[in-house]
Amino acid sequence: MKERNRVLEIKDLKVNFHTYRGEVKALNGVNLNLYKREILGLVGESGCGKSVTALTVLGLLPENAYIEGGEILFRGEDLLKKSAGDIRLLRADELATVFQDPLTYLNPVLKIETQLVEVFMLDKKLLKQAVIAQKTHGKNVTFTDILSWKNDSVMESTNLKVSRGEVKKMAKDLCVDLLRLVKMPDAERILSQYPFELSGGMRQRAMIAMALARRPSLFIADEITTAVDVTIQAQILHLMRELRDKIDASTIMITHDLSVAAEIADRIAVMYGGNVVEVSSTVEIFRNPLHPYTKMLMKAIPNVKKPVKKLKSIPGTVPEMINPPSGCRFHPRCPFAMDKCKKERPKLLEAVEKHEVACYLIKG
Amino acid sequence: MEDLLIVKDLKTWFPIKSGIIQRTVGNVKAVDGISFTVRKGETFGLVGESGSGKTTAARSIMRLIEPTEGEIHFNGINVTIAKGGNLRKLRRRMQIIFQDPYASLDPRQTVNSMLVEAMKIHGVTKSRNESHERALKLLNKVGLSEEHLYRFPHEFSGGQRQRIAVARVLTLNPDFLILDEPTSFLDVSVQASVLNLLKDLQKDFDLTYLFISHNLAVVHHMSKRVAVMYLGRLMEVAERDAIYDSPKHPYTYHLMAAIPVPDPEFEKEEVLLTGDVPSPVDIPPGCRFHPRCPYATDKCKKEEPILEEKDEHWVACHYNIDFKSGEKKP
Repeated sequence: MKERNRVLEIKDLKVNFHTYRGEVKALNGVNLNLYKREILGLVGESGCGKSVTALTVLGLLPENAYIEGGEILFRGEDLLKKSAGDIRLLRADELATVFQDPLTYLNPVLKIETQLVEVFMLDKKLLKQAVIAQKTHGKNVTFTDILSWKNDSVMESTNLKVSRGEVKKMAKDLCVDLLRLVKMPDAERILSQYPFELSGGMRQRAMIAMALARRPSLFIADEITTAVDVTIQAQILHLMRELRDKIDASTIMITHDLSVAAEIADRIAVMYGGNVVEVSSTVEIFRNPLHPYTKMLMKAIPNVKKPVKKLKSIPGTVPEMINPPSGCRFHPRCPFAMDKCKKERPKLLEAVEKHEVACYLIKG
Repeated sequence: MEDLLIVKDLKTWFPIKSGIIQRTVGNVKAVDGISFTVRKGETFGLVGESGSGKTTAARSIMRLIEPTEGEIHFNGINVTIAKGGNLRKLRRRMQIIFQDPYASLDPRQTVNSMLVEAMKIHGVTKSRNESHERALKLLNKVGLSEEHLYRFPHEFSGGQRQRIAVARVLTLNPDFLILDEPTSFLDVSVQASVLNLLKDLQKDFDLTYLFISHNLAVVHHMSKRVAVMYLGRLMEVAERDAIYDSPKHPYTYHLMAAIPVPDPEFEKEEVLLTGDVPSPVDIPPGCRFHPRCPYATDKCKKEEPILEEKDEHWVACHYNIDFKSGEKKP
């Protein structure tokens, strides 16, 4: 059962970057699973490898990166063995991403309509099908309808001719519908605007809409609420929760903010120094954190609902990735470090049921 | 408690110029009439979303930007009209720590020369030896050691740089510090240690803080009293717990409900604010929050409410709203 529902499986992924200062060992054997329809929160501080993991899955690593080893199984196929062209097609159809800063990723000289219609026009067959369905059933086809066609795409065989104009109109109607789905205020008006005319929250919604337009099965959201204000962050998190029930996708939500992950994720994976150090369900990880890093991290963030006099800080700093510490990469900052921790890297093992942790204190 | 800083109707507008003769066609009303007092020894938190004017307010108080209107009194001295030597004396007593420690330290100066230079300019110490000793003492105080004294900023991490910025400010023996987002560039595990350091220093050096941040949880952790700013105006000022647990202004209420809680089992009310912050160039008439306020009436569209006090709790709203039932009384 569990096996069949697994969408993505990352096995012992190692990624390095060549830089003029030396080899940056960004990922040091990452293991991660993503199941169908879940939101996985990928949490960690800057430089821990969250974004590199996402970029590797998407095949978007920069030129100076090289993959030392590992597998990324997406529906059983190894993405690392695919050609750049195949990955590109896969990115068009199945893998969607939204990054932190929407202004960098939206085309500044095209209207939102042009950019969004373009995405729908990639699949003219689908649009034709939608037009036919609309004609035969006599009611408007919405984006939610199209989402439900995903698995059983039966082309209704009719002799109805569909003109190019009708297809275009369909694409535009779907755009409006999709923008409404992501709670864009005044969707029709937004279509004729340029990205610079939108506010930060609206741009982020436009990006989410574009990512969803192709009905992806894997959705990677990389720090999507970092650049927006708290009230807008609350709106976007609310939207993501709503969308989870509507779209048939698994989501990886990358964030440096444990509180954001607590609000939205079903499961949380904590990363440190290029490794996943702890994975479990959100409730379990907050109730019963096992890894010393997770424990200390939770005591280091202020909680409005449970104020403390003094925060517990973690001594030392985030490790240098050119000369990372030997063994467990957390050992120089860990108050419980043993000799073994300095020599060997602990494996991610199941400690309690459905709660994996990479620490010799707990297991191994 | 004694009032250390009194800000009265402070306005800082930036003119928008256009055309060949550069006529002023409008104003960005970044700070549009704020009044508050900071009491000696307390940490006064200033929160607000981006573009609400927090940083402009801070810089205007320091006179790094000239305020358009209003008065600022520091310990009985009018900062707004201070000049030359008097202003320099004031600057020694009130200092500011900026958000980005990568930009606020001179990359070509060693830590030692940075610290000593500040003392030299303000004549805090008599001799070179004394300066050196004081620099070393303060460096220890912020958690760095002698070996760091002759290094350059690029050799330090973000957290260490912010510590150096704090040490540099302390060389002048100030009474009052403006902390403008001091930890937003830092990682969470480092943020905690800098916040703890700031708390310790406040006790040791008898400091008063104006703590500015968009991170509501951090402000909650640090402050005794909190002011909420929206589009250049203060919406509510009160004791920390009153602001966070029983807010009176609808904006504060929504802002507090939006704070993510690091506890998945915490039952949160789902109250969302619609829309975005309007542009500070054309501020909505009446109450500037009315386009986003679910409780807005015709009165709110016409009349701008003023910040009124009741039991040490200042609110700028025409109504007294019970957020649970949605009932509102004038």
